[in-house]
Amino acid sequence: MFFQEPIPDTSGYMIAGYAIAFIVMSLYVASLYLRNRNLNRDVEMLEEMEKATTGLETNQPKKPTKTVTKRGRKIQS
Amino acid sequence: MADHLSPSLLRAIFAIVWKDLRAEFRSFELVSAMLVFSLLVILIFNFALELDIKTRQSVTAGVLWSTFAFAGTLGLNRSMAIEKDRGSLDGLLLAPVDRSAIYFGKFISNLTFMTLVEIIVLPIYSILYNTNLFQPGLLMVILLGSIGYTAVGTLLAAMSVQTRTRDVLLPILLFPVAFSVLLAAVKASGGFLNNSELTDILLPINLLIAYDIIFIAVSFMVFDTVVEE
Amino acid sequence: MKSKPTTLKILDVFSILVLGTAAYLALVVAPTERVMGNVQRVFYFHVGTAWTALLGFIFAAVLSVIYLVTKDRKWDRIQVAAIEVSLVFFFITIVLGSIWARPVWNTWWTWDPRLTTATITELIYIAYFMLRQGIDDPDRRARFGAVYALLGGLSAPITFFAIRLFRTIHPVVIAGSNPEADGSFSMTGDMLSVFFFALFTFTVIFIDLFWNRIRLGDLQEKVEQLKLKVTM
Repeated sequence: MFFQEPIPDTSGYMIAGYAIAFIVMSLYVASLYLRNRNLNRDVEMLEEMEKATTGLETNQPKKPTKTVTKRGRKIQS
Repeated sequence: MADHLSPSLLRAIFAIVWKDLRAEFRSFELVSAMLVFSLLVILIFNFALELDIKTRQSVTAGVLWSTFAFAGTLGLNRSMAIEKDRGSLDGLLLAPVDRSAIYFGKFISNLTFMTLVEIIVLPIYSILYNTNLFQPGLLMVILLGSIGYTAVGTLLAAMSVQTRTRDVLLPILLFPVAFSVLLAAVKASGGFLNNSELTDILLPINLLIAYDIIFIAVSFMVFDTVVEE
Repeated sequence: MKSKPTTLKILDVFSILVLGTAAYLALVVAPTERVMGNVQRVFYFHVGTAWTALLGFIFAAVLSVIYLVTKDRKWDRIQVAAIEVSLVFFFITIVLGSIWARPVWNTWWTWDPRLTTATITELIYIAYFMLRQGIDDPDRRARFGAVYALLGGLSAPITFFAIRLFRTIHPVVIAGSNPEADGSFSMTGDMLSVFFFALFTFTVIFIDLFWNRIRLGDLQEKVEQLKLKVTM
């Protein structure tokens, strides 16, 4: 048999496939990166807030009354 | 509510089932809702598919199981919601009863309601579509399928009723997981309806039985963690 | 926040390199398949993602058991990471499968058992995240997630075995013969090596993304703790 069927050209599909694979993976990596960045910002902000509130607590003038026991621990006032 | 529940597991299960059956027979709210819904679904399929007699035969299995699946979700949702809203779930949890008794009790009562609806739907479908659905093989498949569906459905309903989205979540959780049961059930049902070779039907039936066992086992083992506070 | 461990940084770079190599091997080095042409090359990534994703789902089910036994929420965070990455990979699997199907089976989609169960599997893990979203209490969220992932993990193996149980047009490439399978091809030696390299590649990438995702979960936990502290 001299006649052989030519190999069909399905390269378009191949490119589409690989493109999608790379795009989806990149999108996921991007999402990881963005979420990471946002959370890091949240951590910074929260840590600042924490410092501020503990700072407030230590700077407050002594309150007249109670040494309240909360969960068995005394809270400094 | 739960009078004199003895610690014996079987008696506890029976008590829970009896409680549900008694409550249902007073009001019939669950079964009637499921029944009306089933008939409506069959009606919708009738219009949607508009088939000639021959093609109808081939989709019977699918239509039946879709109907049962949707109606089943209704029953599962309501059954659990009633427990939660009336506070009887908490009551059951406080009782000196093994948690698995609660699971089996709910599972059996849910199964009872589902099969009750199916038994009523079958003759109606038979008449409307002029096919005889009362073949022993088919009935067995319907029972096996309902067992698997309710086994995992009871567990998932117990979970979904505790979420913010409640009713809406149960079908989303249940259909993908119960899909294998439904798939095997449809294949087996179709096999019996088309009088296929028994060797062909045996495979989905075995799958069904395997799934029933797996789902019951897993559900009852983890049910405890799902209802604990 | 602890800075990224060096091993992970190295793994990040290694993953990219290995992915590039795999793509090169699959696109350039591997021989062109005679019957379907270049679209067959999609197969290397299709199976690579499929294998890792399915193993990921099964691994998540194992994590479920570990969490339910230990009640340590660390395992819950690891599970979320495993499922999220597997979800992404399996999505790629399904899409690539569809792209392959178009020229070979002449349809973008068919409801044959394997594809149907693949979609169902993907839907299960989407439902997993929807379940978690509806729960505010972290312990309950972890518990319910574990239960559902366990149930889901029972479905993943069925996806794999469905091909052998029901007659299907999906090709069986690894052992087993199915004369009705359209689009089967036997792999030559070269193809085989590329195939295994692709499997290796996606395992590496999975571990890399998985590890990164775990760290993200830990960071989330830290934020939650801080929020509680600050609002006390």
